[in-house]
Amino acid sequence: MNYAFLLFGAVFGFLLSRAGATTFDFYAKLFLFQDLQLLWVIATAATVGAFGVFLLKRSRARALDGQALVYDGKPMRRGLVLGALLFGVGWGMSGSCPGTAPAMLGEGKLLAGFTILGILLGTYLYGRFHAREPGGL
Amino acid sequence: MVDVIVWPGWLGGLGIGLYLLAQHWTSNRPLGCSLSYGSLCALGSRAPYFTSGEFERRDNWRLWFVLGIPLGGFLALLTSGGNWQPTLSMGAMYDAVLPQALWAKASLLLGGGMLMGYGARLAGGCTSGHAVAGVALLNPPSLLAAGLFFASGLATVQMLFRVFA
Repeated sequence: MNYAFLLFGAVFGFLLSRAGATTFDFYAKLFLFQDLQLLWVIATAATVGAFGVFLLKRSRARALDGQALVYDGKPMRRGLVLGALLFGVGWGMSGSCPGTAPAMLGEGKLLAGFTILGILLGTYLYGRFHAREPGGL
Repeated sequence: MVDVIVWPGWLGGLGIGLYLLAQHWTSNRPLGCSLSYGSLCALGSRAPYFTSGEFERRDNWRLWFVLGIPLGGFLALLTSGGNWQPTLSMGAMYDAVLPQALWAKASLLLGGGMLMGYGARLAGGCTSGHAVAGVALLNPPSLLAAGLFFASGLATVQMLFRVFA
């Protein structure tokens, strides 16, 4: 099953590109209110997702392996406000995010490689010096 | 720089929304990107954080997922009618506002990446996990995180383009 996620990732990366999320300048245009492309992308994706989750729940759909689908949202955490504010600064500065930077690299936008290195370093510093919880929980 | 094909926002969002549902439904794993960087760190670090929880096994779904994303970008470019031409350009606006010297630009992007990596772990997710998947679940912490991402991104870009441009 893990290998299947190579295909999942490729589909997601393709869609990010078509959505304009791999175009650096769309981030600047969004926050300068010149072109709200990425706002419509996120808003439509979340709305379609919310409607789909509603239908999945109502039809009591199960995952491919027969397990009940899990809809647990991420919990509130102590660092959420500070973390989200720091994240936003990096988001605006780099015109990319952790999902889109690898897709940009695939398109040949080489500077996204430095952003990826930075994300790796930030994640490492958190895991090495800050985290008290088990990985990813 | 080859311009990739960009669909109208609603169509791109529809695609990503349907993708989110397809991933959740088939694999029972909600969409999220930033933890994949933990899977990459786990390849080289034996710190407790990177050897427990989701990273207990080095071969986990998040690792393969993040390796697949560049393939998708590559395919998106090829199907946009161009050849793969590596570029150091970020497009007209960021090229104009960020420093011209490569080392300075690279340092800024490295710093911005660090803020996103550290910030996403503090917040428990990034644009995909909080602002798309979490908002789709109408999960209050994710709604808060998404709002703060936008507020902080807005302040940053406004400052970047008004003060430094």
